[in-house]
Amino acid sequence: MDETTVKIKQFIVDEFMPDVSVDELDSDFDLLTGGVVDSLGLLQVVAWLETEFDVGVDDSQLGPESFRTVDAIKTFVDEARGTANAG
Amino acid sequence: MSESFFDHFAAQAQSQPSAPALIWDGETITYGELAAMAARASADNGVADLPEDRPVGIRARKSPEAIALILACLQAERPFLLPSVELAPETLAKLFAQAGAGRVLEPHGPRSESASLRAIEEAPAEEDEEPSQWPPAGGGDDISFMLTTSGSTGLPKVVPLPAGAVDRFTDWAASQFDIGPGSVVANYAPLNFDLCLLDIWTTLKHGGCVALVDQDRATNGGYLADLITENEVNVLQAVPMLYRLLIDVTREDGRTFPSITHAITTGDKIPATSLEALPGLFPNGRFFNIYGCTETNDSLIHEFKGLADGEVPTNVPVGQPLPGVRTLIKTDDGAFLDGTGTGELLVWTPFQTRGYLNAELNAERFAPHPEAGDGETIYYHSGDVVRRHDDGSLTLEGRADFYVKVRGVRVSTQVVEQAIQEHPDVVEVAVVAVPDELAGKRLHAVIRREAASTLNSLGVRKHCASRLARTEMPSTIEIVTESLPKTSTGKIDRKRVLARLEEMTHANG
Repeated sequence: MDETTVKIKQFIVDEFMPDVSVDELDSDFDLLTGGVVDSLGLLQVVAWLETEFDVGVDDSQLGPESFRTVDAIKTFVDEARGTANAG
Repeated sequence: MSESFFDHFAAQAQSQPSAPALIWDGETITYGELAAMAARASADNGVADLPEDRPVGIRARKSPEAIALILACLQAERPFLLPSVELAPETLAKLFAQAGAGRVLEPHGPRSESASLRAIEEAPAEEDEEPSQWPPAGGGDDISFMLTTSGSTGLPKVVPLPAGAVDRFTDWAASQFDIGPGSVVANYAPLNFDLCLLDIWTTLKHGGCVALVDQDRATNGGYLADLITENEVNVLQAVPMLYRLLIDVTREDGRTFPSITHAITTGDKIPATSLEALPGLFPNGRFFNIYGCTETNDSLIHEFKGLADGEVPTNVPVGQPLPGVRTLIKTDDGAFLDGTGTGELLVWTPFQTRGYLNAELNAERFAPHPEAGDGETIYYHSGDVVRRHDDGSLTLEGRADFYVKVRGVRVSTQVVEQAIQEHPDVVEVAVVAVPDELAGKRLHAVIRREAASTLNSLGVRKHCASRLARTEMPSTIEIVTESLPKTSTGKIDRKRVLARLEEMTHANG
């Protein structure tokens, strides 16, 4: 597991599922269908991403699909950082 | 004049005096002995000399002496209020006052002594006594049993049952479940429950034997299993919890119960995990799901077959109306459903009360059919939401009271509980709606898992993902290992679950 994925999982577990260990959370587990992250939780995730990875999340990008799984969040972070680095 | 309930019992005592009537704590009491006990209870309490126009109160835990005392009241054709002895002393005093009970009787004898009853003796005298509501609307002359049912607030509601209603019910139950001389019927419910009209009173009227479950050992699976085996019980009626207890205790010793011919589940939905195990547990059993309530008594019945291999667990239907029972389904917009769909179940049965003793409470629960009715058939508004399927069968969707709005969407906390309950590691679950500034309400689940289980919130969410809509998924999930708080009738006390949660929230800041 790469460092970004671990950090994302750790955050999700700490914030939303304190009784679960990081290893148990699969990268492709559907956080929305599973009720782990709701629309309010989504705002928490976004705020944390902005601080932790220093990425800007503009409102137009803020669709729930980008945050449905840990994998999706990682992809989002990678792309956002890639854009930032390129610029 | 038609024969009274007691006449039937007395006829059994005369024709088969040495036949077993009750089994209590390993001891058998014959019809002859029970009739003698009833005569003694009547004489000791001067039942025949009690004022004819007033009910009596009976304060009794389950025991042969308590049953003899009730028989004495039935013989004298006195209406009697039989509330739960678990109620607070003040509540009991108020209920007896509301019923206009001239006297409160207690059984005498070594077996009926109990600490809890002695505690009730010290109930304080009421200063602002509850006004008597006796007689009920429609008259009190023909009332026999008066049972209580939990009210949403305050005092339990008193449900007076006409003798004719009890007669019709006990005759139906005897023929439906083959109860007569030679049959043994287990009585699991406390003495004040409407379920006893089947277990105890149908059986004594028709000459069978009642194996009484001691209330203090009602959650001891080993005791219950022994009681069924040793007494060769044929008919078993109980809430799903009993079946769960039997399944758990027999998992270790592989025991089955071949004597059971009729296993009846009632009072709650039976979880799919229990459903699967029933045919193995009772190899000669027929299985019935019964829907009823104190106000109407049994209303709907469904015979089911357990689960075949590979069959998907489904919601056991509550089934078809009993003979003579009429039902209606009222939708949210007040119309009556013709075809498929969901709505509140309205019931009329030949076994029902004419209304609560406190007539003020009747408006919200009893009403004639406003359209096609004869204006006299009073339907009971059950508060239960049912779904009617293509084949006409009904399934229970939940209590109307259990519906809450989560982000504007109507959600039944019971549906959520049932989905979680289907997880094999879940012992019990309560889902409560917690007020939330943004969402209106959010759902919180408290789950007690099996002692050896490692189930956590993620496991629950994975389990529920395919079973629940997103709005139905609890926002927060708490896993515990201790028992959830219960009401006096053994159901999960969601109010206390919620109150404890609010305390914790305040404590945490």
